[in-house]
Amino acid sequence: MKKRLTMGKRRKLVSWLFILPATLLIAGMSFYPMIKAFLLSFTKGFGKTSEFVGTYNYQRLFQDSLFKTSLGNTFIYLILQVPLMLLLALILASLLNNPKIKCKGLFRTMIFLPCATSLVSYSIIFRSMFALDGFANSVLMNLNMISRPINWLGEIWPARIIIVLAITWRWTGYNMIFYLSGLQNIDPQVYEAARIDGASVSQQFRKITIPLLRPIILLTAIMSTNGTLQLFDETKNLTNGGPANMTISISQYIYKLSFEYSPQFGYAATISFIVFLLVAVLSFLQMKVGDKRD
Amino acid sequence: MKRKLLSVILMIAMVTCLFTGCSKGSDDSSKTGSNKAEGSKTSDDPVTLTVWCWDPQFNCYAMNTAGDIYTKAHPNVKVEVIETAWDDIQTKLTTAVTSGQTNTLPDIILMQDSALAKNIINYPDAFVDLTNSGIKFDQFAAFKTALGTVDGKKYSVPFDNGAAITCLRTDILQQAGYTLDDFTNITWKEFIEKGKVVLEKTGKPLLSNQAGSPDLLMLMMQSAGAWVLDENGKANFKDNAVLKEVIDTYVELVKSGVLVEVNDWDQYVSSINSTTVAGAMNGCWIVATVTSAADQSGLWGVTNVPKLSNAGATNYSSQGGSSWLVCANSKNKDVAADFLGETFGGSVELYETILPSSGALATYLPAGESAAYANPQDFFGGDTIYLKITEYASKVPQVSYGVYNYEARDAIGAAITKIVAGTDYDTAIGEAQKELEFQMGQ
Repeated sequence: MKKRLTMGKRRKLVSWLFILPATLLIAGMSFYPMIKAFLLSFTKGFGKTSEFVGTYNYQRLFQDSLFKTSLGNTFIYLILQVPLMLLLALILASLLNNPKIKCKGLFRTMIFLPCATSLVSYSIIFRSMFALDGFANSVLMNLNMISRPINWLGEIWPARIIIVLAITWRWTGYNMIFYLSGLQNIDPQVYEAARIDGASVSQQFRKITIPLLRPIILLTAIMSTNGTLQLFDETKNLTNGGPANMTISISQYIYKLSFEYSPQFGYAATISFIVFLLVAVLSFLQMKVGDKRD
Repeated sequence: MKRKLLSVILMIAMVTCLFTGCSKGSDDSSKTGSNKAEGSKTSDDPVTLTVWCWDPQFNCYAMNTAGDIYTKAHPNVKVEVIETAWDDIQTKLTTAVTSGQTNTLPDIILMQDSALAKNIINYPDAFVDLTNSGIKFDQFAAFKTALGTVDGKKYSVPFDNGAAITCLRTDILQQAGYTLDDFTNITWKEFIEKGKVVLEKTGKPLLSNQAGSPDLLMLMMQSAGAWVLDENGKANFKDNAVLKEVIDTYVELVKSGVLVEVNDWDQYVSSINSTTVAGAMNGCWIVATVTSAADQSGLWGVTNVPKLSNAGATNYSSQGGSSWLVCANSKNKDVAADFLGETFGGSVELYETILPSSGALATYLPAGESAAYANPQDFFGGDTIYLKITEYASKVPQVSYGVYNYEARDAIGAAITKIVAGTDYDTAIGEAQKELEFQMGQ
């Protein structure tokens, strides 16, 4: 080591070395499979019978009614669930940020706790709660609000609403934690000044909380969109896609194509790439709309 | 600086080890594996057969018992059962075969009959052709061996029986003025008529079924010797007169209230055990579910299923059931085949041992002649139901489930949901046919 590096170069080198292990791991574990999957989406068959078919799989998408159904279902979940959950999380976060509230820790824990449950087990609990002779029906019957049990998971819209409810229950607390940590960074003096100027609670919420939390809201919106597009456990365990595939999600369809049906890995990879594109496009749009930084 | 350089080199070495680590590991294990294989050619060397199956009370227990019987005669062979859920077996099999990592598979796997054709035809190299292995296939129920036969090659050793039965509550039938005989060898029309009377007099529907589940429909199809795929494996929904009759019958069952739809398996089981319904129609393995309500002992009866009106219609069908396959990657293929042949395909003792505690009914026909099968069952009013079911099994019409069985079942399941909800038959079946043709047109 005769020739000494300049300070700047050395720093760069050292920082690159720090990044290197993570980069290699991500490249090997994430990017390599992604590229392989992309190549896979141009083939059909498997193993020895695998053959290159160009964009055949992408053309098939347009004739696939089940793919269209699953895409539609996933968007229904997305449109209903993400705004509902984020708004709820925001409201809960600003309520629990109030320094005057007692037992804040307890409430925060209670709302966050659903996140600690396994996706499969909470889905199964929801399924039994909304069974024909389940908790929901017995409560409603005993309150004389309905005369005969509602077949929650056997009919299209009730089943979809239950799935949205279940996801909201599971993930609201998770997003609330992000907002709470964001709220810690807002100076209480801003609120104090607003109060002195006579701003109402809802005005404070709209004019101070939401604008100052914008980057965090953007982050949670992108994460939730991503999560909802990849929805699998809930639909698989709550309704298994039924009735008549009207609640099936894209990921569940990919699973069916790969493991339940005669495997069509190439076609399944094609649909995975459509999900990838959707996530990319939606995140890009959200960043364009949500990020007002210069 | 030197130290830094050293640490960098170490780090890179560590990362590369991390990446290559797994592949090296598997190389080593395959080496030791092949060493073992060379050694096992002499017949006295210890051999361990690994088996994947899924139910500790049922098929795992049967496999362990078979292992014990075989070890008595061949002390060098040990059977190791690894409990693996059926869905996991399918996933692992698909992953292992398509990625070429077949050394991750065991020697023997148990497979659902509905998936036999799909897996054997898709991965013909993954399983051992047992046609000339000395296993006496003619001693099994013919429809069972047919399911695992592809291009004249027999791949599977049949295990449990899925012969369809109707379990009925004789006490409830009595209240309506019927006996079990009134429901034996009848047609679906008579079944619905009598079901209406039972419903009217006792308030109990005869059957329950999981909404959107094609199982009962498929059971009805097979009883008529017909199927939703034709002999070339093409979709056969439109203009399928039997399918039309099956669906009309099902809709009539639901509309008349003789059959109630429930949402999932748990509700199905509880509807039977809690006397929400007065009967159950399914593969004979449903007996385990029925008998789990011990307080209803003596109140149940078993008979055959109603028949449709077409030419080949019978009162016999099959639903569920499973078969053993030997994996082609196995280092001890011959031992595995011999083991299956001597136990599941040759030991009445095995079937006699497993019957009382697991209710595992054989499709191995000589087992039906054993004394254990002739024991009257108090739960079913002293009837010799195991003899009955073994007899039904020998009369089940053969159908070929085909590679696209799961796709076809899903399409039918969606169609029946739509039809029950009011969609017109031709529209729903047309959509189902289109959907299935799409999945098959890959």
